[in-house]
Amino acid sequence: MPTITIDGKVIECASGKMIIEAALENGIDVPHFCWHPALSVSGNCRMCLVELEKTPKLAIACSTVVADGQVVHTNNERVVKAREAIMEFLLINHPLDCPICDEAGQCKLQDYAFEHGRTASRFSEMKEHKDKRVPLGPEVMFDGERCISCSRCIRFADEIGEQPVLTFVNRGDHVTIDTFPGTQLDNPYAMNVVDICPVGALTSRDFRFKARVWDMSFNDSICPGCARGCNIQVGVRNNEILRLEPRTNMKVNEYWMCDPGRLGEFKYVNEDRVAAPMVREAERFAESSWDEAYQRVTAKLRTLRPAEIAFVGSAYATCEENYALAKFAREVVGTPNIDLVPHSDPSFADNRLRVADRTPNTRGAREVGVAPDKSGLALDAIIAGVIHGRIKALYLLDHTLPVNDELAAAFAKLDLLVVHAWNMTPAAEAAHVIFPASTYAEKEGTFVNVNGMVQHFIPAVVTRENERIMGMRMSRLDRFGAENDRWTHGRRRDARPAWQIVQSLAKVSGFNWGYGWSEDLFEEMARKIAPFRSMTYEMLDTYRGVELGRGDRPTPHGFTYVAHDLRPQTLAEHEV
Amino acid sequence: MSLSEQNFPKLIIPPIENLHRLDVYRANGGYEMYRKALTMQPGEIIDEVKRSGLRGRGGACFPTGLKWSFMPKGNDKPKYLCINGDESEPGSFKDRLIFEANPHLMIEGILIAGYAMGIHTAFIYIRGEYHRWVRIVEEAVEEAYAAGLIGPRMKETFGGSYSMEIVVHKGAGAYICGEETSLLNSLEGDRPYPRVKPPFPANVGVYGMPTTINNVETLANVPVILRMGGEAYSKIGAEKHPGTLLLGISGHVNRPGVYEVPSGLPLLDIINDLAGGVPGGKAIKAVIPGGTSMPIIRGDALEGVMMDAEGLKAAGSAIGTGGIIVMDEDTDIPHMLRRLIHFYHHESCGQCTPCREGCGWLEKVLTRVDTGEATSEDLDLLVDIANNIEGNTICALGEAAAWPTRFTITRLREEFEAKVKPTLSLPVLNRVHSLRPSAHEEAAAVSN
Repeated sequence: MPTITIDGKVIECASGKMIIEAALENGIDVPHFCWHPALSVSGNCRMCLVELEKTPKLAIACSTVVADGQVVHTNNERVVKAREAIMEFLLINHPLDCPICDEAGQCKLQDYAFEHGRTASRFSEMKEHKDKRVPLGPEVMFDGERCISCSRCIRFADEIGEQPVLTFVNRGDHVTIDTFPGTQLDNPYAMNVVDICPVGALTSRDFRFKARVWDMSFNDSICPGCARGCNIQVGVRNNEILRLEPRTNMKVNEYWMCDPGRLGEFKYVNEDRVAAPMVREAERFAESSWDEAYQRVTAKLRTLRPAEIAFVGSAYATCEENYALAKFAREVVGTPNIDLVPHSDPSFADNRLRVADRTPNTRGAREVGVAPDKSGLALDAIIAGVIHGRIKALYLLDHTLPVNDELAAAFAKLDLLVVHAWNMTPAAEAAHVIFPASTYAEKEGTFVNVNGMVQHFIPAVVTRENERIMGMRMSRLDRFGAENDRWTHGRRRDARPAWQIVQSLAKVSGFNWGYGWSEDLFEEMARKIAPFRSMTYEMLDTYRGVELGRGDRPTPHGFTYVAHDLRPQTLAEHEV
Repeated sequence: MSLSEQNFPKLIIPPIENLHRLDVYRANGGYEMYRKALTMQPGEIIDEVKRSGLRGRGGACFPTGLKWSFMPKGNDKPKYLCINGDESEPGSFKDRLIFEANPHLMIEGILIAGYAMGIHTAFIYIRGEYHRWVRIVEEAVEEAYAAGLIGPRMKETFGGSYSMEIVVHKGAGAYICGEETSLLNSLEGDRPYPRVKPPFPANVGVYGMPTTINNVETLANVPVILRMGGEAYSKIGAEKHPGTLLLGISGHVNRPGVYEVPSGLPLLDIINDLAGGVPGGKAIKAVIPGGTSMPIIRGDALEGVMMDAEGLKAAGSAIGTGGIIVMDEDTDIPHMLRRLIHFYHHESCGQCTPCREGCGWLEKVLTRVDTGEATSEDLDLLVDIANNIEGNTICALGEAAAWPTRFTITRLREEFEAKVKPTLSLPVLNRVHSLRPSAHEEAAAVSN
């Protein structure tokens, strides 16, 4: 292993690595625009010029392989001068429209301008002008003037999106980016170019001009769009989700997420929500109090034999919620009839991130007991039981259960149909009692992805229920070092995670479970369910996910590159 | 005895009529040096070229034999030879003469080089603007194919087991394609962006395979070296840069053109004797000795400057492609530099930041200097921009634009000072805002 010295720090690193990687992994941030660990090296921005002793010219750290005995300076006078020169060149034709730019606040160019730029401009000429609103595809808009021609998006389209439609056109300072004639950037991962663009040249057509980043809070979550469980950050302002963006997790999604996940997994949180518990009176729903709804459900369940009652868990719900439901079914109601609805779409699967299972937690739900015992009914038998009248009460955690005419007619004959729902669906429309459910963005819990990775996430949107835990988490400086992200603003919805609802129902029946937080359930799961043994939320966070059955020997996550974070990114921060 | 009366050896362009025709070329001993090469071991040929002291004629003067020795041995993957005939540096037009007058000499050089390095495919890359010369070379290659001098049939013609395919490729017209790694990308059909080095072409070249890139004139010297022997060749001209040079002389001279002379002659004699001096007997204000990206030399500093790599280095310049541009006393130097930088701005490929942004900036400031809308500070700024480009780019085009700017301004500063003003009187403080038609009204409103 070569040993090199960077700024006086002796570093031992794997051979074949570039200087910039060796530096970053050891907490030395070499400023750069075009380099990205997942993309090929282009070496065009020249921002990462460093001095190598015994080499006459400055070398770019992104394309210089480490060699034993190398002595690198990333901050001496010569390097600083070169970096200043590059910043000056990048800024002369840049429109400097930060006040209206989406990227402002998380812009590499902006941050480096503060850190490495000159205070005053020496450029007193007319700037070059380029096209400012070029749709590269249905989701991505390009501003040629903001572009610094780093080619990250081109390389992404070629290498990750596997849709090589982007190219540079023209020459010199007229260079701009365009799609090849007759093509557009519309691959399922296209919007990742917005994240990796180091400036505001590529913007999301869905998000652009909606919010300043410092007005938003970004909490860690998991995309519920499929069983990959891509790590995401949920951008929230005034208690409304404005965008989702991928969060680096080399064990799960690396740096990316797909566009359907990014665009499809937050609008249902913002819109058309079930606002309060609803109880059917004759043919109409009436809002009720939580207690009234609990009483109604408990009273009806008491009139039925356990074999006449069936539960359907949800692969959209957390492990904790499904665990609580299974415990309720078996211990409180005493029925073995519990299963879940599969949501499989083979056409959604690809060979990068997306998998056919369109739910985030099938494996987790199964592991915690949402599966029929030998004596219990599986989903098909439950549905058949409903249709043939053998099942008289159905408790649905999954409001997306498809309802055909036959099932709708059968639902009408049920004594009790309880549905946990965040939006009104055909299943919810047929219910006797609807509980307003918290979406993934409003609750804490764990999902288990397609590879058995147990991942913990926290709420991003405040509800009446989670206000206390959110307050505890959010009363701190945000990532911009300010307290002014507006998570406290906006309306709070009255929705609850299923484990709380189920616990309340159990309590009405005289079972006092005493779970205070989602974490209490997880602790119990970690004691009782072998694959979760030894796991804690803290461990899941530290290791960025732990595989089922490996709670005693979790896999380290290694170095994590965050494209929009200028703080030194070190292993020490999450040393494992 | 003046230079024009001396009988210098004409090794590359001998005075033989219709030498571009295969029959004439063969009648004058053509392709016999390849036959001779086949009697030698490849390593011996490389040693012979090393012994000759031949240095690349494309501008960088890199020792050719050494370059060849960088090619990996063995045949585990294909290797390629690229012939750089892009000749896009302003003031350079000597390779064109080889295409026109002695294309088979180059082709024979390609065969010898290919044999020496174990290469079986060569690409002759010729700039797009050279329509006519592309045709001439294509015809010469076709003729050689037909005669069994290239291609699979050369085994029958010459014996041995070696054969070579030669492809003529026409560029699409960009200066940057003369940069060897841009040339490779262009050849592959990509945007001609220079590649980040390392890896160097000898390891990863065209189509990712080991590649040697040689200038046209360089390869034309190879049969000559085999004929004379490396030892004898190394005695021609300057010791450290031996051989004859094809010098393209242009600008304010009575007889512009390409002259083949031994290296190391006095530059002034070349201008005054060979090229017939400056029209009207005017004084020389400045000379660019090797194509426009090389540092300019003041007219009053020409005495004693020798025309070879070392001589020009001593004079603070470089030989480049040997394109000598002479400027008489009436030349408007700032205007000349503005035009030159316009070229580099236009031709900057735009890949890396300093050149992409810097060349345009240089031209904008130089335009102001040329039109009298600048101050002395702007001259300092120009030098500083040039310094900021130099050494920080992927390829040498950065230097190509930075050198003429810096050296022309520092060496002929008085020419620029004569064109700038002590201060600029602007209607409003900001220069760009001052260009607005309403600027004077704004200024009046403020003063009221």
